[in-house]
Amino acid sequence: MRNYTQLVILCEDRQQEVFARHFLVTCGINRRRIRSLVAPRGLGSGEQYVRQHYPAEVRTYRAKRHHLQIALVVLIDADTHRVTERLQQLEEELQHADLQKRGNGEQIGLFIPKRNIETWIHYLQGETVNEIETYAKLTREGDCKPAVAKLAKNRRQPLPQDAPNALQRACSELSRIL
Amino acid sequence: MLKRIYVDNYKSLVNVEVPIQEINLFLGENGSGKSALFEVLKGLQDFVCNSKRIKEVFPTERLTRWQDSQFQTFELEITGNEGQYKYRLVVEHNPDMDKASVKHEQLLFDGNPLIELETNEVHLFRDDFSAGPTYPADWTLSAVGAIPPRKDNTRLTWFREYLKRFVIVQINPSMMHSESPRETSAPTIHFENYISWYRYISQDQGMTMQLIAALQAVLPGFEHFKFEAVGEKHRLLKVYFQSEDDAPAVAYAFDELSDGQRMLIALYSLLYAARAEQKYTYTLCIDEPGNFISLSEIQPWLVELYESCTEHQMQALLISHHPELINYLLASPVGYWFERESNRPTRVRRITAQSEGGLPSAELVARGWLNA
Repeated sequence: MRNYTQLVILCEDRQQEVFARHFLVTCGINRRRIRSLVAPRGLGSGEQYVRQHYPAEVRTYRAKRHHLQIALVVLIDADTHRVTERLQQLEEELQHADLQKRGNGEQIGLFIPKRNIETWIHYLQGETVNEIETYAKLTREGDCKPAVAKLAKNRRQPLPQDAPNALQRACSELSRIL
Repeated sequence: MLKRIYVDNYKSLVNVEVPIQEINLFLGENGSGKSALFEVLKGLQDFVCNSKRIKEVFPTERLTRWQDSQFQTFELEITGNEGQYKYRLVVEHNPDMDKASVKHEQLLFDGNPLIELETNEVHLFRDDFSAGPTYPADWTLSAVGAIPPRKDNTRLTWFREYLKRFVIVQINPSMMHSESPRETSAPTIHFENYISWYRYISQDQGMTMQLIAALQAVLPGFEHFKFEAVGEKHRLLKVYFQSEDDAPAVAYAFDELSDGQRMLIALYSLLYAARAEQKYTYTLCIDEPGNFISLSEIQPWLVELYESCTEHQMQALLISHHPELINYLLASPVGYWFERESNRPTRVRRITAQSEGGLPSAELVARGWLNA
């Protein structure tokens, strides 16, 4: 496990933060080293917030990574887009800010739930899901923790075949961070 | 869990109702009535749990200046003990005679009376709501507070025990005493009695171990606390920090620590003590928890508090002007905006969706655009 001095989570809402933070802590990341930037609650602005802040986070990461053990974890819902489209949008944000594409050796993890984070949570809680429908938000964000912890503990095992594609992709992204 | 506070005719709080959630952030300009709400909670606690007289906790000077009414009303709604409590207190003031008296005090459980003070008589009811004794009231003291615990009034005493666990503080590290004369079960407003309170909570060894482990992560070099006797009953709290090169740990008196270090110790102590309570949920009311501590320490504490609240281990009401706190908490719908014009009553509004452009919430507060 990498011993980070700081791991930044940039995400759209509290549910994504709770999910990501609990996953990382269960994987052994020191909870005090995790800092969250959560979009202000608004009218559909979370995804825009993440895209806007992504270049600044990448720029700062690149400026500091040689002196500090740091990482950036980005969560952004695919919504009705394809995951590859969201990745493309994030890449374009870097281009517009005159930044290079994300490099292979960079500890920058892009996690893109499709359709959104609730799809993953409902799947992890044992439901059959697809990536088109929207699923109900949890009454309490923390209710996802047991399922997230299970995912974290089994992270080295392959996911079942019925797992959402976006979640399969996210698990392969983990090697950048953990 | 505290669900609702209602206040009428106290300072700027006129006919104000505030629904309360698991975690709450009160925002607003200076003088908008946020701290007045905490004063009310403290007054109710002192009146019901600490046998203070009505005039002492709700003095006549705190009647709303521009109101003619001499009556003040306070209400609390609380869920717990498998039901819903409603507490109501009406205070009658006589400014000419500088007198205050209890006009009406009532505690209901699921709509049924547990006790009622009305026109100088107290009517007591049993747990099964059957009528108990009626006796003359002392209109300067709480009838709820005066009842000794018995087998047939467990619902009433539950409410009192619950109210005892309201911690209402505006922590000021420089006012924390370095010496403790005795154990104390409740923090004072500025946490002057931290060490006495720590003596009390440290009886729970499991909780103390967790707290020490947390503080070791928060305060570089921190090892442990140790009480040192000063005379027969007084105790000094010594704080031990690691030395370099395996030398013995160095002890500092509590008041030798910085304000920020003492603030962090106080905040984590509150968090861990509240979390350890099993039977009654603590309600932490903290005015400006972000004061004194470094920026990097605010979010770690806040995350722990937020998680504890949303997992129903405690409830928190926070007042803050700190951007770090505002930005983190307002990612959830937990904010209330207090506002008032000069000599006008406080209005409290729930902070709804506040951002379409991605500006941090604290920036919107600074510009006066929140909820605009």
